[in-house]
Amino acid sequence: MRTGRAPRNVLPDMRPTLHHVRDATVYLILGLRTALPALLGMCLLPYALFLLVVLVVLLPWLPFLVRPMRTLANAERRRAGRALGREIPEPYPELRGTSVERSVALLRSASTWRDAAWMAVHGVTGLTMGVLAIALVPGILFALSTPLWWWAAPEGSVSAFVALDSWPKALTLPLAQAGLNTAILVWFIPRCAHWQARLAEVLLRPTRRISLSERVEQLTETRAEALEAHGAELRRIERDLHDGTQAQLVAVALRLGLADRRFDADPAAARTLFLEAREGVEDALAQLRSVIRGIYPPILSDRGLGGAVRALAAAQPIPVTLDLPDADPRAPAAVEAAAYFVVAESLTNIAKHSGASHAWISVRRDGPVLRLTARDDGKGGADPARGSGLAGIRRRVAALDGTTSLDSPDGEGTTLTVELPCGS
Amino acid sequence: MRIVIAEDNALLREGLSLLLSTEGHEVVAAPDNGPDVLPALLEHRPDAAVLDVRLPPGFRDEGLRAAIEARRELPGLPILVLSQYVEETYAAELLAGGAEGVGYLLKDRVSRVDQFLDALHRVATGGTALDPEVVSQLMTARSDPLAALTPREREVLSLMAQGLDNATIAASLVITERSVSKHIGSIFAKLGLPPSDSGHRRVLAVLAYLNS
Repeated sequence: MRTGRAPRNVLPDMRPTLHHVRDATVYLILGLRTALPALLGMCLLPYALFLLVVLVVLLPWLPFLVRPMRTLANAERRRAGRALGREIPEPYPELRGTSVERSVALLRSASTWRDAAWMAVHGVTGLTMGVLAIALVPGILFALSTPLWWWAAPEGSVSAFVALDSWPKALTLPLAQAGLNTAILVWFIPRCAHWQARLAEVLLRPTRRISLSERVEQLTETRAEALEAHGAELRRIERDLHDGTQAQLVAVALRLGLADRRFDADPAAARTLFLEAREGVEDALAQLRSVIRGIYPPILSDRGLGGAVRALAAAQPIPVTLDLPDADPRAPAAVEAAAYFVVAESLTNIAKHSGASHAWISVRRDGPVLRLTARDDGKGGADPARGSGLAGIRRRVAALDGTTSLDSPDGEGTTLTVELPCGS
Repeated sequence: MRIVIAEDNALLREGLSLLLSTEGHEVVAAPDNGPDVLPALLEHRPDAAVLDVRLPPGFRDEGLRAAIEARRELPGLPILVLSQYVEETYAAELLAGGAEGVGYLLKDRVSRVDQFLDALHRVATGGTALDPEVVSQLMTARSDPLAALTPREREVLSLMAQGLDNATIAASLVITERSVSKHIGSIFAKLGLPPSDSGHRRVLAVLAYLNS
């Protein structure tokens, strides 16, 4: 799970304050840095396409042609992303194969044509808006100062709507013009800046299809990891049962068989074998209990996650303060088992290594996520690289597509936060 | 003794019935699900009840809840709770209503028939029987203050918390009863508990201490 950055939203808020007008003006003027190359690219694009189509032998060089366009589009993505306060991700799928295959893929890719479309629109509108933004403020100053010097200029050379030729006109019309310019500056420029940024966002962000295919790729990856972890878990259980319980029971059966053979001839020896067999069964039962606990702790199905965590807390040598929701935070069985494991393991770590005098455990269902926090007031400095406890937590959490974060500054206690997606 | 058994596994239920009737006890009722337990106990008012923790229909802790409920209705009703696994929390809940006539053992313990019958007898006569695993869980949780005890004293404390009397403790540790008394005196002094000779009050003090 990712947490979103706090958006630094400059443009959509269009209160006509000086601050916003200034930001918008600067944004549009800086927009010239992408608009001018875009205009150039737009002019060159037809020639380039013409050459590619007519001289098919040039096709392998398409990637070299696309590269500057992408560099430009990326610059605009960053710029517009900063202004909108949200990142505009690159939509480009990874290219594979020979240079011809790559070129064909580029020609078929929606992102290439969307980049080109942006280049055309931004080339024209970006230039227009940039020039307007540059001209407006000097224009206002010019108009305001006109009454001071119009009479000295050559006749007919100074105008505001119409050529100025009398004092009444010279005192009113330039003021009206300055007012109009100010209105444009205050009302129109922020809207232009917002529109320019939105243009970049709409045309340059990945289409829904591309985002979905990326998500599928990511899920395929985590699913493969989960399957791998699940497989390892199954193998561990199989080994425990096979090498432990099963072998133990075979030994018991063997002893009972021997006891049966000796029963008449040597009752005392048979009795010893019976007693050994009983001990073997007791051992097997104890092993079975620990295997079951490792698969799904019985107290979870008896009492749910809340009750199970309460039981864990009660068994600690130091006081543990719990923060549990009133209603039991039900989650899928695998998630509950992992959550229980995380709490048990962190409490063990706290008791063993932290030297803490108090611990805090919080279990919260936050929408589709189960969030666990284990905090202590111990000596801190926990190193996830050392000790199998933290590594085990990380592994088990990662297998469920969850995240683990550890904050353990020296001398200031340790906080472990785990987030487990619950799939609903 | 007249005994009520609550156990959903037919094999185990038959086995327990057989074991108890061979010993001359009478199994007056053997409900195989949670909701039937309390009515059976209230109807028969047995000398002792042996309850499984996990019972149908929910397969959670129906047996334990029935035990707590029954002891609220019939204070002092001797109940021995059996389970495939033991949880300190469950022990604490059982003991919250008083430790007289309460037992909480792993099911495995039925294989030691003598000890199992002894535990049942202890519970039926108002004593306590706690599984060694529960006691060791309790003692782990209180390991700091118990660090002052010698290893032998910890052994004695553990057996005492299981509900055993001095003679049994002495037998299982292969020491004399006199030295058991001496150890117990020393344990009480070190833990700051008021000295008490009577068996049950002593177990109560120890359990209250471990459970606090």
